[in-house]
Amino acid sequence: MPRTTKVECPGCPPIRALTFDVLGLVKVIEARSKQGGVPKVVERWGDPDSSRCVLAASINDRKSDPLLAVARKSGSVEVLSPLTGDLRVSITNSTHPDLRPEDDAIVGLHMFKKHIREASSRSCTLLTCTTKGHASMRSVEVPKSPQDSNSSDSPMTWNVCAAGNILCSKVDGNEDYALFGGKGVELNVWDLNTCTKNWTAKSPAKNSLDIFTPTWFTSVTFLSNDDHRKIVAGTNSHQVRLYDISSQRRPVISIDFRESAIKSITEDLDGNTVYAGTGSGDLAAFDMRTGKLLGCFLGKCSGSIRSVARHPELPVLASCGLDSYLRFWDVKSRQLLSAVFLKQHLSTVLLDSNFNDEELASTAEDLPSNKAHDEDDTLDEDVEEMPVKRKKSSKERNPTKKLKPKKRSKKLEGNDFDA
Amino acid sequence: MGGKRKKSEMGEEDDSNGNGKRRSVDVDDENNQKKSGSKGQQLLPSTIKNKEKRSAVHAKLKQQKKLEKRKRAKTRDAVEKRALELGEEPPPKMIPRTIENTRELDETICKPDDEELFAGNDADEFCSVLKRECTPKILITTCRFNSTRGPAFISELLTVIPNAHYFKRGTYDLKKIVEYARTKDFTSLIVVHTNRREPDALLIIGLPDGPTAHFKLSKLVLRKDIKNHGNPTSHEPELVLTNFTTRLGHRIGRLIQSLFPQSPNFHGRRVVTFHNQRDFIFFRHHRYIFESKEMKQSDSKKGKDTKDGNGSQEKMVARLQECGPRFTLKLISLQHGTFDSKSGEYEWVHKAEMDTSRRRFFL
Repeated sequence: MPRTTKVECPGCPPIRALTFDVLGLVKVIEARSKQGGVPKVVERWGDPDSSRCVLAASINDRKSDPLLAVARKSGSVEVLSPLTGDLRVSITNSTHPDLRPEDDAIVGLHMFKKHIREASSRSCTLLTCTTKGHASMRSVEVPKSPQDSNSSDSPMTWNVCAAGNILCSKVDGNEDYALFGGKGVELNVWDLNTCTKNWTAKSPAKNSLDIFTPTWFTSVTFLSNDDHRKIVAGTNSHQVRLYDISSQRRPVISIDFRESAIKSITEDLDGNTVYAGTGSGDLAAFDMRTGKLLGCFLGKCSGSIRSVARHPELPVLASCGLDSYLRFWDVKSRQLLSAVFLKQHLSTVLLDSNFNDEELASTAEDLPSNKAHDEDDTLDEDVEEMPVKRKKSSKERNPTKKLKPKKRSKKLEGNDFDA
Repeated sequence: MGGKRKKSEMGEEDDSNGNGKRRSVDVDDENNQKKSGSKGQQLLPSTIKNKEKRSAVHAKLKQQKKLEKRKRAKTRDAVEKRALELGEEPPPKMIPRTIENTRELDETICKPDDEELFAGNDADEFCSVLKRECTPKILITTCRFNSTRGPAFISELLTVIPNAHYFKRGTYDLKKIVEYARTKDFTSLIVVHTNRREPDALLIIGLPDGPTAHFKLSKLVLRKDIKNHGNPTSHEPELVLTNFTTRLGHRIGRLIQSLFPQSPNFHGRRVVTFHNQRDFIFFRHHRYIFESKEMKQSDSKKGKDTKDGNGSQEKMVARLQECGPRFTLKLISLQHGTFDSKSGEYEWVHKAEMDTSRRRFFL
């Protein structure tokens, strides 16, 4: 008997996600518990234009004055406000004027959360890296309005690779080290304070048939937030590899996964799990201590997964890619929470960790046991005196915020057992 | 029920075995009758374990259903007939439920007022061909081993698709061929794959950076096997694409559209049809003609009702003549970029886990 009713997705906890697509649109997706946790597109920023295709994006989601950096296909890097979508600064990333931006596309972009080199508080530091290996780090003055002239000091540029194409880059949790890798480029770690190369990987030995697989890294990440020595990389030859800088230059563990290239990889908070998405739409979790596949995320996902993001507090994973769906998954049960159709090929997804559901906050205040939070509210107001206000109250309320999602996840597990 | 019977047997072990069994069966029978009497059609034949009884109940139910159906049809016919006699509007015909019209709700279905869809169309890979900025130029090649029906099929494809050129495959890599076609300004590349001398797959690659669609090809009938087939002329054909409704379907439709010139020559009266039904794409190639017919047969039929006087009532009729080939395609995968089976990124792949409902379609 065929199933006549649709399987209901359980809905996700209050969450806010930003997606970037090939037409250069930025879409804001919010799920609120008021609507039963069904995520919806609430805002769309920008006009469709294929030359403004987003290649990389990075967010600095601090509590006050958060910023969002977006790298476009036309070679410009824009700094936006992730709350309103207003353009703050736009800079052109032309390190070499003889190269067209199409030939030397930006592949990696990172916005630093801490301030570097005693820059003023109104500036942000950006690390960009292009396909040809031109990395540059610069501080940009963020004016109050885009009309103000922006003064950016001369960028610090260096060359990451001599040959080959850079395809992925990543900055570690303490923002001292950067990692680059790509097609024909072995992984290399750079110290950002001194701009020197610390470590280079070595390709694994030939296999038993004497076949050498060419170097082709497609995605890379640090295994845990505070340790820059453990690196997880996904390769084009469908392998997930663990490198340990402190022990050896060859991979410590390498795991084969299915048959298509690993396209995106993200670490979990616990420091030993990674999530890898492939070119044919498989998403899986791996335990890097043992090198074992923990399980796959099943949900009729049919297009290449370009980006995976882990929420810093809630047990939620977001993935997006060429099938134009943004999907939210429960990390524990690996169950699909919900999916949103966004019409375009998506390139990146970012999660706004400071998003708070107003309704949820109010219910939390109603609870008699949470009296302590009333005092915190005054603190919140102090925070909100900052020049750019965050619409929602900030992190102090997080303990209450955590309450509900945890319950929800438990409920999910219960459901699993039922089914 | 089995449990019950066992219990009764256990209780009556003191009696002679046969007696006890019979009695217990009787009890069951009464139970059954009571159940069926009280709850009507609640009793499902499949819950009865005795095969004889089960088939008897089943047959009875089936007979009942058949009678009811016949009765309903009779009353419906009677109502319709009476309405006709009285000159009233007959009651509306019922619409049968099909797999298509009970299709699972799909949010990716393209809506005509979706501006993002059109913006996406303007930015996609087929845009330059479909906006007539360049004329389509097609390269057709085969897999490495190719014989019998393969070449025959290709020679027919060459007559269907204008400005198509066949190149021998030789021993070249497909990636090399893509590279070659790109430098020679081809806009699409078609690879016909044969297995056991029978074409079984079609690969359509958009150039220079368009997507790669992999289709399963089945039910191929060549021109000479079609009865009363016509021979196509070399005019640019008209193209009919039906039922490509979802976002994926729309993209496949545009890929197919970019194979043909965008300005059909209507003098040729040639039409090429790609009809999508339940994710199968049916290809047909026809010649048509509009004929003003002097309605002879209709006159003889309607002559009694309408005695117009001018016996030659002119009516335009479209007549079709099929000129092959005829085949069916089913999408297996759509890959982003040109052919690259190892490191390619798929926009859509058919996976087994998607086939959990007969009412779900992707195109």
